[in-house]
Amino acid sequence: MKVLVVDDAPFILKAIRDILEAYGNEVFEAVNGEEALSVFQEARPDVVLMDILMPKLDGVGATRKIMEIDSQAKVIVVTAVGKHGLEKDCMAAGARDFIVKPFKTKDLLKAINSLGENNR
Amino acid sequence: MRAYQQDIIEAIPSTIIVVDRGMEILYSNRNYYVKSGKKEREVIGERLSRVFAPILMERTRIDDKIRDVLSTGIPFDGAQLRYPGGFFFFYKIYPLKEAGGAVNKAVIFMEDITELTRLEEELRDSYIKLENANAELKENDVIKSEFISTASHELRTPLTVMNSYLEMFEDGLLGELNEVQKEKLQVMRSQTDHMIRLVEDMLDTSRLESRRFKIQRRELQVEEIARTAIEDLSRLAGLREHTMSLTAVEGLPRVKGDEQRIKQVFSNLLTNAIKYTPNKGSIDVKIEDLGGTISVVISDTGVGIAKKDQEKIFEKFFTGGGSSLTRDAGRMGLGLAIAKGIVEAHGGRIWVESEVGKGSTFHFTIPHD
Repeated sequence: MKVLVVDDAPFILKAIRDILEAYGNEVFEAVNGEEALSVFQEARPDVVLMDILMPKLDGVGATRKIMEIDSQAKVIVVTAVGKHGLEKDCMAAGARDFIVKPFKTKDLLKAINSLGENNR
Repeated sequence: MRAYQQDIIEAIPSTIIVVDRGMEILYSNRNYYVKSGKKEREVIGERLSRVFAPILMERTRIDDKIRDVLSTGIPFDGAQLRYPGGFFFFYKIYPLKEAGGAVNKAVIFMEDITELTRLEEELRDSYIKLENANAELKENDVIKSEFISTASHELRTPLTVMNSYLEMFEDGLLGELNEVQKEKLQVMRSQTDHMIRLVEDMLDTSRLESRRFKIQRRELQVEEIARTAIEDLSRLAGLREHTMSLTAVEGLPRVKGDEQRIKQVFSNLLTNAIKYTPNKGSIDVKIEDLGGTISVVISDTGVGIAKKDQEKIFEKFFTGGGSSLTRDAGRMGLGLAIAKGIVEAHGGRIWVESEVGKGSTFHFTIPHD
């Protein structure tokens, strides 16, 4: 599966890449919301893992823009912010799932696979 | 006897002046001479308006007031007078009744309240200072809450990375591990989990404080939650050879609440009970319906909590420093504060009954329809 990971923390990108690759996925990276849009345009991933607090364009805004590019896009928010109401905002922007860091690998994989399968 | 009474009047630290209908001064006690610096011959038999400073007469309109008192027989209850030079006086006027009940004289009482006023002002100043300090404290509290919130968010990123690689090791994705490596990995796992829980607790606390704490309201069975919480902690209790029991009345009504959060209350209370009970103790959970409320009682045979600490244990960051509870390195003193926040968010109450050396009994209630 093609997964785009969007996060401004380099070690998070690396860790998620290592996990996802270990399970046979192809990984693309972006370090902010703006970059996420251009990488999404080019790579057309099956699933996007989206951080929220990022420079330039935050995760909610980036999710909204991605949904404009492709209304079928599968965005999973993966965030350290547990703020009340954020989940609702993300879902309203078009996200399909909401995962709080630190996550369990199996929860992340489950979310990716269930969305990815629906895609095919 | 009369001389004795006269002495008392002379000794009173207030001014007493008696005037007649013609506003002529008939008597003045010693205090007035001391205060005013006037001689008796300058005062007695003189008109009040010639004795009192014009500014005083003007500001008090005391002659009008005396006339009122004399004509009505009703005392003038008093007013404050500010005198040049920062002096404050309080004065009252009483009618002096004669044998037949006729009123032809009035008594003026004047008290120097300069010192009292100064104290009052000081008190007001202190009050304002206190209010400011309080506002500052509240602001500090907000800053502290924000700090806790930011810190716990910031800690989540490295924790996520650590946790992810630990999982990769555990899942064998990074090669086979020998027994020693596996054993050390387990230690890292339990410590990482512990750190994740601490960060969660910190975040919960800041949420509770900023009232951003929201609970879900779904139908749930308290007894089932208690059972899973007990199961989750059975290994920990086993290490200390405690026996844990659950007694629940049949057919308990369901409540509307947040399953995860109520489980957290059970976990926090049970973890404390396990920790603060010497080995081979017993921990009993009893659930019943009090009609309108589900009552949960968790009792242990532990070290107990001193009376003076029984309220404080529900405050955040209370770890029993210098109290009946020993400082436990693994805790930040948030568990009970969070439990209280959760119970109260459900409209319930939480409290403890305890005797040092005998054990503690925690009670909490969750209302139902």
